[in-house]
Amino acid sequence: MRAEPGSGRPLRNSSVLKLSAAIAAVTMAATACGSGGGDDGNVELRFSWWGADDRHSTTQQVIDRFEAQNPGITITPDYTDWGSYWDKLATGTAANDAPDIITQEERYLREYADRGALLDLNELDIDMSSIDELVVDSGDLDGNRYGIATGVNAYAILADPQAFEEAGVEMPDDSTWTWDDYIQIANEISEKSDNEIFGTQSMGYNESGFAIFARQNGESLYNEDGSLGFSEATLEKWFDYSVQLQDGGGQPSAAENVEIEAGGPDQSVISTNKGAMAHFWSNQLGVISATSGRDVQLLRYPGETEFERTGMYFKPAMYYSVSAGTDHPEEAAKFVDFLLNDNEAAELILADRGLPANVNVRAAVLDALPEADARTAVFLADIEGGIVDGNPPPPIGAGEVVEIIKRITDDVHFGNITPAEAAKRFMSEVEQATG
Amino acid sequence: MSTVLQHRQPAGSAATAAAPAKKPSTKQGDSRQRRESLVAYGFLAPWFIGLGFITIGPILASLYFSFTDYSLIGDPEWVGLENYQRMLTDERLHNSLAVTFQYVFVSVPLQLALALALAMVLDRGVRGLALYRSIYYLPSLLGGSVAIAILWRQVFGANGLINQVLAFFGIQGEGWVSNPDYALGTLIILNVWTFGAPMVIFLAGLRQIPRMYYEAASVDGASPARRFFSITVPLLTPIIFFNLVLQMINAFQTFTQAFIVSGGTGGPTDSTLFYTLYLYQRGFGSFDMGYASAMAWLLLMIIGGFTVVNFLASKYWVFYGD
Repeated sequence: MRAEPGSGRPLRNSSVLKLSAAIAAVTMAATACGSGGGDDGNVELRFSWWGADDRHSTTQQVIDRFEAQNPGITITPDYTDWGSYWDKLATGTAANDAPDIITQEERYLREYADRGALLDLNELDIDMSSIDELVVDSGDLDGNRYGIATGVNAYAILADPQAFEEAGVEMPDDSTWTWDDYIQIANEISEKSDNEIFGTQSMGYNESGFAIFARQNGESLYNEDGSLGFSEATLEKWFDYSVQLQDGGGQPSAAENVEIEAGGPDQSVISTNKGAMAHFWSNQLGVISATSGRDVQLLRYPGETEFERTGMYFKPAMYYSVSAGTDHPEEAAKFVDFLLNDNEAAELILADRGLPANVNVRAAVLDALPEADARTAVFLADIEGGIVDGNPPPPIGAGEVVEIIKRITDDVHFGNITPAEAAKRFMSEVEQATG
Repeated sequence: MSTVLQHRQPAGSAATAAAPAKKPSTKQGDSRQRRESLVAYGFLAPWFIGLGFITIGPILASLYFSFTDYSLIGDPEWVGLENYQRMLTDERLHNSLAVTFQYVFVSVPLQLALALALAMVLDRGVRGLALYRSIYYLPSLLGGSVAIAILWRQVFGANGLINQVLAFFGIQGEGWVSNPDYALGTLIILNVWTFGAPMVIFLAGLRQIPRMYYEAASVDGASPARRFFSITVPLLTPIIFFNLVLQMINAFQTFTQAFIVSGGTGGPTDSTLFYTLYLYQRGFGSFDMGYASAMAWLLLMIIGGFTVVNFLASKYWVFYGD
């Protein structure tokens, strides 16, 4: 029995235990600590957000200003990147240790609201009188306001005029271009530049692009009741566009797409000057312009005049929410109010959380916006007239949909499945995730 | 100590006399024993508390969760065997099992073979053995770390070190981690690279084999290959077995490397979706902790099953020499 040591120990190491350890840690945290103030009357609050370094340092300055205005309230920052943010928030919430003020996103708002993890902000003392009417009630679910929009965003095409010029291709007229134009232009750029410059970056890694396409076709990603609001044929067409770009050379190879996507906005083909177009949220223009060192422009989505109606929409970039577990709702409300309405906060945040949702604040900071963000403001004002309506709040489980569409788009890029198979699979997986 | 005291009882005392005479002394012994036990338990308490809270409690909790629909945020709801039934039709789960099995059954034998080969070389009495041993052991210490996984992603990236070397020879390399045909391969290489731990154990095992066997075989004219297969391998089977069991269990639980290299997605196209990674995605990404707990129990059963099979099979090939 010399080998006996192998029998006992390894079982103890099994990953059940790792998982269990995590649960235990969480349980212990739940019993051991609740957030809250000290005895000296000082209130401590935790504020969580996701993002990159730039946002972290700016937000810290905002916190400093708030603390200077409100002695007796201390705000602890709690930030990570987008991916780990939701893992962390879920575990924290499960452990009754959620941050007091939570940055939320539409895909996850219902998940938390329906489970009683968020406070109704109507009950708190927050001034919402100046919030843009287009988005003020976007965080409302069943009559309760679980989040207030930080700012307004639109999903659009980022285009680098210099890349177009180097490839010898004209910039399109974005008020009339069709999807075929888009595909043809992208393929042409790659071809004319001998693949030095890619026409575009894959559009398949974010379901927001498809949401626009569905709306153009008189459909929608989700219905009001959370069910799928589009037809299989529309989705198949969407995946087929990706195939046309892949086969036509308009976008990088399947493997390159994976790497570019993993690198985030900093590694987008525009940021690295390797491509002419990419699909992003309008508030990302600033950071991508900066990394690229070029005057990157925003273009309307292709196909806005091609089908039944326009598809572009305003989306609340993020929401500020207050945790139901906070010990100090009044102070938390004070901080949210500061973030939304105070010019001192706005002149730091600028358009980083979308173009400010507070219209007075927006007007006040407009002149202070860096050039790229000013372009965003102009762009949003330009498209506003053409926007038909907003999107219904996504159902529970919508946070998974990004990963689903990424995975399926990769399968399409690598040629593992046809657009028709991709459409079927996407619908069944999303129905399962949100059902 | 109390047993020593009892042994000092006069051996000749009759049974009838011994019974009453013994009583007080046992009582005294008992209380001392109890006190000593208390002290012992006192010292053990931190470990017991840890075992209870961090190990047994959560194991039982996860068993309970595996029969519930538990979203992490809300309260668990009892659903009976539903989570286990869902596993039968979950294609991503089946895929993750296939990926994990490929990984285990390719990387573990390769890793052990490499470990044994290097142990044999080092066993020849290389100068500076301690240094080499440490150098080769280093990857085992680092292999599971986040830093190495990030490094791996860079090295095997489209513009990574590997492709730069290949480009030097005029070969256009692939994006190794971003191509589903090769992504799992890079992780297998990473695991094989951490051959140091089994190598050190092999080295110790080789040292145990009496030299005279080899000398006798040499005298009889046995070739090096013959000596390897007829002396080294049979006498080393207990060590091989030990390493096999240990490394298999480790490989089944691999998480960090796949998580970092694929950016948490298990991609591209689920080609590196290890079982543990999928479990994590279900639990923390999809708020499906009930299902994730059920998956954890399935993994426990799989690992337990393979370990039992290993032990049963060992009767037929492991030679203990006694």
